[in-house]
Amino acid sequence: MITPRFDELIHAPTRLSLVAFLAATGWADFAVLRDSVGLSDSALSKQLTTLEDAGYAEIRKAFVGKRPRTSARLTADGRTAFDRHVLALQEIVAGAAGRWPSPAGHPSSRSAASDGEPAPGGVSP
Amino acid sequence: MNDQIEPADAARALSEIGWRREQVIRRAAIPGWYWWATAVLTIALSAAVESGRGALPWIGIAFFTAGSLVISGLVSRALRGAAPRRDLAPGSVPRLLAGMAAFLAAVLGVALATGLSLKAAGVPYPGTIASAVAMVVFAAGGQMLMRYHTAFLVRRSGGRG
Repeated sequence: MITPRFDELIHAPTRLSLVAFLAATGWADFAVLRDSVGLSDSALSKQLTTLEDAGYAEIRKAFVGKRPRTSARLTADGRTAFDRHVLALQEIVAGAAGRWPSPAGHPSSRSAASDGEPAPGGVSP
Repeated sequence: MNDQIEPADAARALSEIGWRREQVIRRAAIPGWYWWATAVLTIALSAAVESGRGALPWIGIAFFTAGSLVISGLVSRALRGAAPRRDLAPGSVPRLLAGMAAFLAAVLGVALATGLSLKAAGVPYPGTIASAVAMVVFAAGGQMLMRYHTAFLVRRSGGRG
């Protein structure tokens, strides 16, 4: 069972976008990541290196013909850390919703759960 | 729980995560041009085969095969760049396959019904006309089906859809 754990490394805005994208894919091409998350080559390299150093991402370099092709994916540890981080975020939101009546339009009151759907950002089993 | 994080910040982060998940699903959808390109190739093949003139049917088959390979290659290359994980929308594959099978059966039904009706009425080139009608249904319906599939996957994955 996954326990919630807020992860400062993942929560940084750019890395959150990057990790969330990687969490939804297997291997992702460097160019696709760059364009999808909206980063420069150097910024993406830096973020991927940070994730790799933390053991959260794996980077693969291969050649397609003569062209180098770089891909990245989350490691099992990275995926677990992300799932735990999502649970921690959900707890924070749920805790706030429990303390105060949720105003209309607040994300926690946009009850996807009441529609029979998992909450936004919910962890797939 | 981390007391230093505001609930609004956590909600924004969850929204961002849902958006990125949705982004992965949307970029994996078959693009609109694929349906029209396939439709054009199929109509050209029908016309070439039905003409029955010399080497035209064989040229049509070669053109169709080469075109289909190019189109499929481009679509699968785009998909390979960041393919969604299989467990992103659990239990959705049978429903998507059933939807696609029903759609293709409907297109085939339109083609057969139109072709046989035109042939019975003595209209020239019934196969080409039937193919054109069915391919318009294929191209328009395929895009609608993709929109439906994408929205379904986004909902099923817990994205923002």
